[in-house]
Amino acid sequence: MAEIKFHRAGLAVEVRGLRLRLGDTQVLRGVDLHVPRGAIVAIIGPNGSGKTTLLRCLLGLETPDEGEIRLLGEPVGRKVLSRVAYVPQRLQLDRNFILSVREFLSLRLQAAKGWMWQGHRKTDEQLRGALADVGVESLFDRPIAGLSGGQLQRVLIAFSLLTKPELLLLDEPTAGVDNPGERSFYELITGIHQRLKLTVVLVSHDLSMVYRHATRVYALNGVVCCEGTPEEVMNADSLRQAYGIHVTPYHHDHPPGHHHVH
Amino acid sequence: MFTEAYMQRALLVALMLGPLCGFIGVFVTARRMSFFSDTVSHAALAGIAVGFWMGFQDPTIPMTLVSLGVAMLMLWLREKTDLLNDTIMALLLSGSVAFGIVVMSLLKGYRGELDRYLFGDILSVGPVDVGLAAVVVAIAGGWVLWNLNSLALITAHEDLAHVSGISVRALNYAFVILLTVVVSLSIRLLGIILVTSLLVIPPATARNLANNLRQQILGSIAIGALGGFGGVAASFLLNLPCGPSIVLVCVGMFLLTLASRSLLRLGRRQSPAP
Repeated sequence: MAEIKFHRAGLAVEVRGLRLRLGDTQVLRGVDLHVPRGAIVAIIGPNGSGKTTLLRCLLGLETPDEGEIRLLGEPVGRKVLSRVAYVPQRLQLDRNFILSVREFLSLRLQAAKGWMWQGHRKTDEQLRGALADVGVESLFDRPIAGLSGGQLQRVLIAFSLLTKPELLLLDEPTAGVDNPGERSFYELITGIHQRLKLTVVLVSHDLSMVYRHATRVYALNGVVCCEGTPEEVMNADSLRQAYGIHVTPYHHDHPPGHHHVH
Repeated sequence: MFTEAYMQRALLVALMLGPLCGFIGVFVTARRMSFFSDTVSHAALAGIAVGFWMGFQDPTIPMTLVSLGVAMLMLWLREKTDLLNDTIMALLLSGSVAFGIVVMSLLKGYRGELDRYLFGDILSVGPVDVGLAAVVVAIAGGWVLWNLNSLALITAHEDLAHVSGISVRALNYAFVILLTVVVSLSIRLLGIILVTSLLVIPPATARNLANNLRQQILGSIAIGALGGFGGVAASFLLNLPCGPSIVLVCVGMFLLTLASRSLLRLGRRQSPAP
C-alpha cells in the first residue's frame, strides 16, 4: 500500500481507463497515461484522435464518462489546478478584446481576486521579469491584438508561468508557426523545463519536432496505441498501422457538432 | 432646464445609467452580446403589455421580470438545444415584440404609451426610477468592478479563465442578469429600440482612442455620461424624443474619435519611426 502511494506521488499525470463520448462519437475509448514528474511528454495523434479532448479532461473542461484522472496525485479540481498551467492554442485567444500585454498578464496574478489592476511597481517588475524569461520584455505595453503569432505564444507562456506551476499543459503549441519559429519555441520549452524543473505535457499532431525534445511520446487514437521514447514510437509498426504516419495523408472527417475534437 | 423636477430626474438617471452602460458595454461589445441585449430589451415590450393588462400604472417591475425570463430562456435554449444562437435570439425578439403589440392593441387607451416605450421619454422617468437607478448603479457597478479581472479573463479566453479557478458559468449567468436589469431600467430614457446603442457606442467610441482595457473602460464611462447628459439636455431644449437625442450625441462623439484616430494614424505614418 505504501509503495503504491509513493508511486502515485511520483506521477504528474495519471489517467486510467478514460472514456468519453461526445455526441455520436466515442472519442476516448479507455485511455491510460502515466507521466512521471519532471518529464517532457508529447501526446501525438492525427486530427480526431482525441488528444485535445484528453487535454480538456485533464483540465476539468470535460467530464469523462468513465475512468480516473489524477494530477500531481490529486483528483482534478480547483485545488490542484492552481498548481497547473495551461497554454491554449494561441489562435483561440480573442484578439478583438483590447488588452495590453501587461493587463493580460496581471489577470493571471489577480484572477478571481477582484482587485482592479493598476500600475503597482512591484507587480510590474514581476510581469516584466516573466516576459524577460521568455525573451519578449519589449512587449510590455503593447496591445495583445497587435502581436505576431510567435509573440503571442510567448506571452501565453509567460502568463502560464506566473503562478509557478508544477505541471505545464500545452495545446498544439506550434500549430501555424513556421519552422524556425517552431525550433526556437521548443528550445524555449526545454529551457523552461530545465530551469523550473516542471513537468511538461504537450499535445501535437506533428511528431517531427516533438522527436528531438520529448522524453516520452504517447500516440493517441481513441486509446493510447503506442508509447515509449520518441525513437521507439517513430519506429513502431503499431503507430503506422494506427494512423499511417508518413504513409497516407490523413483525411479530415469531422462529425457534425464536434468542434472539441481536434 | 434644471429647475423642472422631471428634468432633474431625467438628468440624474442619465448621469447614472449612461456611465454604467458605458462600463458594462465594454464587456457586452467584447463578448459580442449586443444582439443579446437587443433581444432582452425587445422582450420588455411583452412585459410592459402584461403590466398594463394586469393594471400596473408603472410597468417597470413586470417589464424587468419578463426580460429576465426571456434572458434565462435564451440561455436555457442555448445549452439544451442545438438551435443556433442567432436563431434563438431572433425568435424570442420577434415573438415578444409581436406578443407585446397584440396585447397593447387589445387594451384600450395604451397606444400612446407604446411610442413612449419604443423611443424613450424623459417625462416618463418617475421618482421610483431615480431610486431604482441609484440602487442598480451601486449594485451592478460594484459587482462589475469587483469581478473586473475575472470578467476580463473570461472575455479573453473562457477555458483559460476556468483553469485559473474562475467560476465561469456562475459569472456568465450573473452578468446576464445584471445586463438585463440595466437594459430594462434604461428603456425609460432610450426606448426599447435604441437602448442597446448606449451599451455599444460608448465602448466603440472609447476604443477608437484607447490602447488598453483600462483606458477603454474609463473612456467609455465618460462618453456614456456625456452622451446621457447631452442627449437629455438636447431633448429638453429642442423638444426632441429623448432616446434618439442620446444616440445622436453618442454617434457624433464616435465619428469625432474615429476621425481623430485616422488623423493620428496618418500623422504617425508620415513622421519617421523613432
